[in-house]
Amino acid sequence: MTRSPHIEAEVRALISEIARQDASLIRSDEDLVERLGVDSLQGLQILAGVEKHFDVRLPDDDLVHLRTVGRIADRVQQLQHGGRS
Amino acid sequence: MRIGLIAMSGVRVRNAELAALGVTLPQFVSRGKVIASLPSLGLLTVAALTPDDCDVVYRELGEVRCDAPLEPFDLVGISSFTAQIDEAYALADRYRAAGVPVVLGGLHVSLMPDEAAAHADSIVLYGAEGAWPQLVADFQAGRLRPRYEGLRAGVFDSPHYAVPRFDLLAGREYNRVTVQTSRGCPLACEFCAASLRITSSYQQKPVEKVIAEIRAALAVRPAPFFELADDNTFVNRKWGREFLRAVTPLGIRWFTETDISIADDDALLDLLADSGCRQVLIGFESPDAHGLDGLDPRNWKKQRSARYLESIDRIQSRGITVNGCFIVGLDNHTPAVFEMVRDFVRQSGLLEVQVTVQTPFPNTPLYHRLRREGRLPEGRYWDRCTLFDVTYQPKRMSVEELESGLRWLFGELYNEREFLRRKRQYMEIVKARMQPGAPAVTKTW
Repeated sequence: MTRSPHIEAEVRALISEIARQDASLIRSDEDLVERLGVDSLQGLQILAGVEKHFDVRLPDDDLVHLRTVGRIADRVQQLQHGGRS
Repeated sequence: MRIGLIAMSGVRVRNAELAALGVTLPQFVSRGKVIASLPSLGLLTVAALTPDDCDVVYRELGEVRCDAPLEPFDLVGISSFTAQIDEAYALADRYRAAGVPVVLGGLHVSLMPDEAAAHADSIVLYGAEGAWPQLVADFQAGRLRPRYEGLRAGVFDSPHYAVPRFDLLAGREYNRVTVQTSRGCPLACEFCAASLRITSSYQQKPVEKVIAEIRAALAVRPAPFFELADDNTFVNRKWGREFLRAVTPLGIRWFTETDISIADDDALLDLLADSGCRQVLIGFESPDAHGLDGLDPRNWKKQRSARYLESIDRIQSRGITVNGCFIVGLDNHTPAVFEMVRDFVRQSGLLEVQVTVQTPFPNTPLYHRLRREGRLPEGRYWDRCTLFDVTYQPKRMSVEELESGLRWLFGELYNEREFLRRKRQYMEIVKARMQPGAPAVTKTW
């Protein structure tokens, strides 16, 4: 499945707001924790924002493993299409 | 003159079963690492109070090895937690045997001055403010006195106050940098062995001085996570609001300890949420009113306990997490307390939890009461004052029941499944606060 630029842009905007980072500096494959200094609390706030905004529920495993814009966007897209992977 | 300031930093749980369990419990271990990796703010303050003509070397020592060579100093200052005080004494004895004068200070020394004096050329009681500059001057003049008393009030006033030497932390790895905004706590809980014991009243540092310290730390370590090394930060609400307005523009992330009454102050909570505060640590101590009876002189915590859940929700709904602290083994606790704590944690939505066992630190009101009641060991037990080892006879359960109950509770609370459940619960709180249909970029916490 090709990644939706629209979803990715919205995920990036959300992360930018919560992590107080310039959206243009957040790369798709960059680890949010290691490269952007997102802490564990911000990580949960980001995922909560994703669930609320896209009206999806992330699997519990994702609360640990979703750490890049690209992977979050992919997961949202999969969930919107009714599947997990 | 070269002065060595040595912080003992290797507190270890003595109970072998608990120590083994700690290795496998993810959240338990992570909090332990955080505590173990905090720099010694007390010694950084001592360094700042040292005259400019002295060279100061700051060291942290996890353990004392008898065969390790001693770093050469003209004067050594050592500070330690109670649990590691015997190692501090051993190190002091080695330096003194080598002809190097030793000064001991810190909370334990203030609580047990005569004991400490047997291992030192001089001891400093209470804080270093008002004592250390005179001590160094006396040492340089060859007339070091055996005992100095720091200030118990006015500790943050000129000329006694100094910005801690955060520059001594350059090049070291720390999870957090500590800044102190106050000393003491008006609640005066019976068990407390914190800064309450070295102050005559609640001491509040002026906002401009706190901000200056944060800026000083930022100059040395870009974007650190700050921990306010207070026992109860927001006792003075007016000061609290002023501080939060001042710290917000700095864009830092920080953590502090406070009491549950902040939940009553919506204006403070809103400022707190916007200030970069990530978490507040609150001592609930016991999930039920009965367990809290007599814990503090005014029974303040007992009176608040009926509103614990509501208060946690009010704080966490702002996106600020609460690290809930519980003490097991209080006098009204029976073996039923362990399930009560677990159930309370599940019901509350607390993201993080810290459970410790009641610990009668020397010369605290709790220590004296238990001593009178014949519930303490005959000899010294300081090395077991780790907050996880049982050092006294509980009132309504056996030592074995307390130890096994603690292990059971750790297993219940600190596992991946529970941690994920708490994360999910917290996310639902955050989502509930978001406006329906709001764009993702709208800040709602």
